[in-house]
Amino acid sequence: MTIRKILIRMPVWILLMITAGLMLFPIVIAMLGSFKTNLELTTGATVFPLKWQFQNYLDAWNKADFSGFTFNSLYVAVFVTVGTLLVAAMAAYAVDRVAFRGKKLFIFLQSFTLFISIGAVVLKPQFNLMVSIGLQKSLWGVIIILISAHATAFFMIIGFFRGIPKDLDEAALIDGCNFYSTFWRIILPLLRPALAVVALFTFRNAWNEYILPLVFSLSRPDLQTLPVGLANLRYGAGAAVENQLMLAGACLSILPLLIVYIFANRSFMQVTMGSVKG
Amino acid sequence: MQRNRIGAYFFSFPSFFLTMALGVYPVFWALRYMFYDYQGYGTPKFIGLENFARVARDTEFWQSVANTFIYAGGKLIITLPLSLILAVILNRKLRGRHAFRAIFFLPTIFSASVMSIVFYIVFNSYNGIINQYLLKLNIVSGPVDWLGASNAMLTIIIIAVWGAVGNYMLLFIAGLQSIPEDVYEAASLDGVNSAQRLWYITIPMLGPVLQMIIMLAITTSLKGYESIMVLTEGGPFGKTEVMYLYLYKLFFPLTTTGTSVQNIGYGSAVGFTTAVIVGLVTWLYFWMSKKLNNVY
Repeated sequence: MTIRKILIRMPVWILLMITAGLMLFPIVIAMLGSFKTNLELTTGATVFPLKWQFQNYLDAWNKADFSGFTFNSLYVAVFVTVGTLLVAAMAAYAVDRVAFRGKKLFIFLQSFTLFISIGAVVLKPQFNLMVSIGLQKSLWGVIIILISAHATAFFMIIGFFRGIPKDLDEAALIDGCNFYSTFWRIILPLLRPALAVVALFTFRNAWNEYILPLVFSLSRPDLQTLPVGLANLRYGAGAAVENQLMLAGACLSILPLLIVYIFANRSFMQVTMGSVKG
Repeated sequence: MQRNRIGAYFFSFPSFFLTMALGVYPVFWALRYMFYDYQGYGTPKFIGLENFARVARDTEFWQSVANTFIYAGGKLIITLPLSLILAVILNRKLRGRHAFRAIFFLPTIFSASVMSIVFYIVFNSYNGIINQYLLKLNIVSGPVDWLGASNAMLTIIIIAVWGAVGNYMLLFIAGLQSIPEDVYEAASLDGVNSAQRLWYITIPMLGPVLQMIIMLAITTSLKGYESIMVLTEGGPFGKTEVMYLYLYKLFFPLTTTGTSVQNIGYGSAVGFTTAVIVGLVTWLYFWMSKKLNNVY
């Protein structure tokens, strides 16, 4: 029985191990590579660094200005997350709890932005709008555009709202709460775990966004975020490409997400139906 | 109740305003310019359907459409079955399943551009890490040109699969958890083996979820271009050019290669065409999966 079981399980384990190896390979390569010298990285064919170059991280942070990139990324991601949660939660509250004229149209508009995609075409008018209010050379242009794309968060939060009974609102009303204080004092606290998940996804997407910060930093390199600054290193102006700095930068750029991911692994794994990436 | 209504307008206004200004308006902006000759400066000139005639003749664009289908097809053919199999395995009470799920999901937290940088260092032809290992172990006699004309698309598909498997695995697991346990119990009493179980019970029971996930997978892979932009910029010789990247270049010419010119009128027409292509594929997929439903 047990031998039979092991024989049946064997291919499954082999498949899992091979896939896990392939998944981890580039990550491990990047992590180990970030401690090598550029020469060792490009000709060495070693697995572990001959000598651990912790200097790479200092160089990336200071010389290649990853401190600046990180600040910009954090700035964008934090404001986008807060803004998206606020805008989407407020709208979801109104739509789920109140029957108002134009509600159907509003929901239609939200799904319109989800389904109609003409790619980079919309970037141009969005950029022009930011020019007209003077935000074309500011991270706030990026932040506002990213907040405007909150339809996914909106639908996710509506889904969670359905789980909060409406009796609760009525009870709050009787106890002297109005529309606004019910939202702030009753609904939002109850929604906290759901909002945490939405926040996680929003933060991840904002942190990883490449195209928008690229467009907005074309004439202002000091506004580059991590993905943009990192990609630009590849085309380093004239100088030889410094692979070791790029890998150190790549590791720096995933570090915050990795930490959040490790701590939030459980909830990441459980509430995932809303994740749209691939 | 009256006050609630005012409150509701007040609460949905920020969302409404942002969606109209930055989601809806830009689409109509583009729809207008597709009938104009407009390079981004000067006055736009109305030229009717001429932009679309040019799209029809644009071999570079149609090459990018073909590449998009190769890319999306290649990615999905590997990603979907692999992620479904992994999901089925990891949905059972298997030792270490949480660790495996975490490992498979890990790549999805990388941004497309960051992972392309890492893969560039891993795959680049002259001193890439893969080639170093292959040469050292005497598996190949000379460096493999992973990002050269004949292999670049394959390399890009491998990278895309790496980044996507974990995500679809998770979606499948969520779907699998909705299948009641007793269906399987009844089946095991009837002596059904695990392959039959997957084919006759799991996949049909997963039906609607499967349909949704496949549609999501098709549309996202037709639209993806970030990682390609960072890794190859569509090269070499346009071999990895996909339609959304081609489109991007018409609006924001890339500074490093400098081969494309900004052309907003024409770009809008290309944008409209790509949206129609994606829409058609989605519609075709829906139509086919409905037909399949009727057969069952």
